[in-house]
Amino acid sequence: MIAPTAGPGALVLAVLTALGFGAFLWRAYQLYRYMRLGRDEDRTAHLGRRFRDELLVYLGQRKLLKRPYYVRGAAHALIFWGFLVITYGTADLLLSGILGWRMPGTDSGVFVWTVDLFAVAVLTSVLIALYRRAFVRPPRMHIALDGYVILGLISLLMLSLLVFENAGVAAGVLAAGQTPPPLATALRFRYPGDLSFTLFAGAWWVHVLTVLAFAAYLPQSKHLHIATTLPNVFFRSQRPRGALDLVDKIEERETFGAGSVRDLSWKQLLDGYTCTECGRCSDQCPALATGKPLDPQKIVLDVRDQLLREGARLVRDGGERGTPPARWTPAKTEELWACTTCAACVEACPVTIEHIDKIVDMRRWLAMNEGDVPAEAQRALTNIERAGDPWGLPRDTRADWANGLGVPTFAEKPDAEYLYFVGCAASYDGRNQKVARAAVEVLRAAGVSFAILGNEETCNGDPARRIGNEYLWQTQARQNIDTFTKYGVRKIVASCPHCFNTIANEYPQLGGSYEVLHIQQLVQRLVADGRLAMRDGAARETVAYHDPCYLGRHNGVYDAPRDLLDAVPGVERVEIEPHHRERGFCCGAGGGRMWMEEKVGQRVNHRRIEQIMALDRQASKVASGCPFCLIMLEEGVGAKGIGDRIRPVDVLELVAARLPKNEVANA
Amino acid sequence: MKILVCIKQTPDSTVRVKVASDGRSIDTAGVTWAISAYDEYAVELALEHKDRDKESTVTVLSAGPARARDSLRQALAMGCDDAILVTGPSAETLAPLAVARALAKVIEETKPDLVLCGRQASDDEQGFVGPALAEVLGWPHVATITKFAPADGGVDAWKEVEGGHEVWRANGPAVLTVQKSEKEPRYPSLPGIMKAKKKEIPERDPASLGIDASAPAPEIVKMAPPPARGAGKVIKDGDAKAAAAQLVKLLREEAKVL
Repeated sequence: MIAPTAGPGALVLAVLTALGFGAFLWRAYQLYRYMRLGRDEDRTAHLGRRFRDELLVYLGQRKLLKRPYYVRGAAHALIFWGFLVITYGTADLLLSGILGWRMPGTDSGVFVWTVDLFAVAVLTSVLIALYRRAFVRPPRMHIALDGYVILGLISLLMLSLLVFENAGVAAGVLAAGQTPPPLATALRFRYPGDLSFTLFAGAWWVHVLTVLAFAAYLPQSKHLHIATTLPNVFFRSQRPRGALDLVDKIEERETFGAGSVRDLSWKQLLDGYTCTECGRCSDQCPALATGKPLDPQKIVLDVRDQLLREGARLVRDGGERGTPPARWTPAKTEELWACTTCAACVEACPVTIEHIDKIVDMRRWLAMNEGDVPAEAQRALTNIERAGDPWGLPRDTRADWANGLGVPTFAEKPDAEYLYFVGCAASYDGRNQKVARAAVEVLRAAGVSFAILGNEETCNGDPARRIGNEYLWQTQARQNIDTFTKYGVRKIVASCPHCFNTIANEYPQLGGSYEVLHIQQLVQRLVADGRLAMRDGAARETVAYHDPCYLGRHNGVYDAPRDLLDAVPGVERVEIEPHHRERGFCCGAGGGRMWMEEKVGQRVNHRRIEQIMALDRQASKVASGCPFCLIMLEEGVGAKGIGDRIRPVDVLELVAARLPKNEVANA
Repeated sequence: MKILVCIKQTPDSTVRVKVASDGRSIDTAGVTWAISAYDEYAVELALEHKDRDKESTVTVLSAGPARARDSLRQALAMGCDDAILVTGPSAETLAPLAVARALAKVIEETKPDLVLCGRQASDDEQGFVGPALAEVLGWPHVATITKFAPADGGVDAWKEVEGGHEVWRANGPAVLTVQKSEKEPRYPSLPGIMKAKKKEIPERDPASLGIDASAPAPEIVKMAPPPARGAGKVIKDGDAKAAAAQLVKLLREEAKVL
């Protein structure tokens, strides 16, 4: 269309465009300077994966189109894709209005059709979004004026677009050979007199001015995500999800963790700008769901709000340290200690925000700088330090669970293929010792060559790292790595997902790289290879599978345990829908919560038991692959007094019970 | 206020203690060592005072083998200002009274306003050194305190008694033995640990302090672990009435408690 900017119009538009984009750039520059207050962090490695993420997560909107958000996700994807096309058209409008230039292809029928279709689609999506805000009002959604302003601006953009196209065609302002927009001109209005040109020019100007107002308003609002999602996805962490960031050269540092916004990395601050307050993370958080003060969305928004509050001051004064997180908002420390690091929030976030890293960085400050850790958690740390296990049970009784089983240590069998890393829970906790014994029976039955470290094994350090005591984690990890090196260990199998995760994903940060498997992965392979025979000895049973967070979400091990369960004769597997696989609900014990009291709200494990008991297809057992899950499920079943209806077990126990030699005992 | 805390290094409470082959001492192979529990309370109590009054200083003092240095460092990491170790060839076998005399020598040199000890060590549970130290110094001694506060050039000490507490006052320097601190002993912050690593811990040799290692002391003639506990008995047979009858019978005839 020929722009209605004859005479001084072009100059006026040029000035207004400069003002609109100037306001945008000025604020963007401010925000960039605040962001650079964060500590340096290199996020440039793995370029290939970064470009792939841009295609899938940014352009492809993959993380938006997830259950249970298909409709909302699709509405958003339409608005997003629509905007990509329409923005190209907007550039064309401004260029033609100021300089008379055209963007290539804007005359083509394909482009005109696309803009037209998307304009209607976006308008429809905006109506859905308005309806949800005004009437559905999802409890986790942050409903504020900002959202309405943005939706209002988008509607105005689309309406004015449709009006100026319609009136423009009537006024005959189409350039020679240009295709008329089909939907906008479908209604063949008859405009009295010469009103069609006035209407065209008016709507055109409204549209263009709305674009400029949008540009100026954008960086003041949560809608900034349309500008920041692109870099935020590009610079997302490419570490394994289960690995926390290493605190390098820890002995030379003077402060540890996040004592102010300055100590969070620039990417963590960018996360704050990118949060669009959709509340999907809050929807999935087990702590929030059971009445704890933690809300993962608030963790991210507090970072942003604090940065906006003191950013200007910190930029001016390079010597100013900034406010510690504990003083950002009331009850901040309670929020931080309520996290189980289950990664439900990280999984749910459509714009790849990393919640756990922020929480752990703030915990690191509390734990290492302030020595301010809940007393029970502190006891666990002291126990790890002194006894090598969080319960504080004697070091030299670590291998007592294996008494009489004749399990060799690496010292006795240096040529063993696998190290079975037993872990503290299976070594000391009575219930989990049974799982360790079952693991030994299964590995033996399949003829796997393995040995344990005996009393030379020590806690892998996972609880310490997640409570925030990085130093203790590094001490424990180094001790284990030294022992592995001493015996030339190359392959490790662990029956605890926390041991598995930290050895597989975090020990490489300290130079310890091994081939690490969770025992269910190994046993599933053995079964698939025909190396392990099971017989249908016991009665048929229905078994619900509970995904441990550090097996499932943190490491993507969803199928091996399911395949293994399906291979167990007489077992029928049921899913704990909808809280299964990537939406699995935490047992409440991760992130060091195993050793902290849970006094606020409902206990997370009790909620989990309720979910299991509410299934249509009632299970007689709930199977997991994690000692902490097992302890929590046992406690939940015990507290609810339903031990006669459902028994928590480890998948390995189901396998061991069907080994030929155990059949008689079970019959 | 200048506070000095005497600590002893003992096996950590998480260690399963084994009797050595001589039958009269413990096997120290593989043992993790720590500050004796009540001494740790004493350190915490001193630091709680230092938290309130930044002018105060806390010195830790220990007499024992060279490994006791690690426990002094732990106390420094918790926040104590300096540490002194009395050690040397004879330090391993110092009789308790000789320990008190050696500590007293150092205390006479450093001239603190107040000395804190744990009420007893968690290895031999003798509770000897604190009162003996007060005796050697000629200072007053208050036992099993839970709180103290400076008062008119001396100190007030709280001790819990049946149904309440008493406040005792010493008009000058005193030795207090500690029952418990207000809070659980603090966990050192990492900067604290790093700072403690760099601190010098001066050593004093008992001989150079003029201490004779031998002093009247009882001798341990035998050490034995507690007898192993037998397995419990579960009465499974019969209905509640029969089970109750059997329980009464067993309590009377086997356990002999009725």
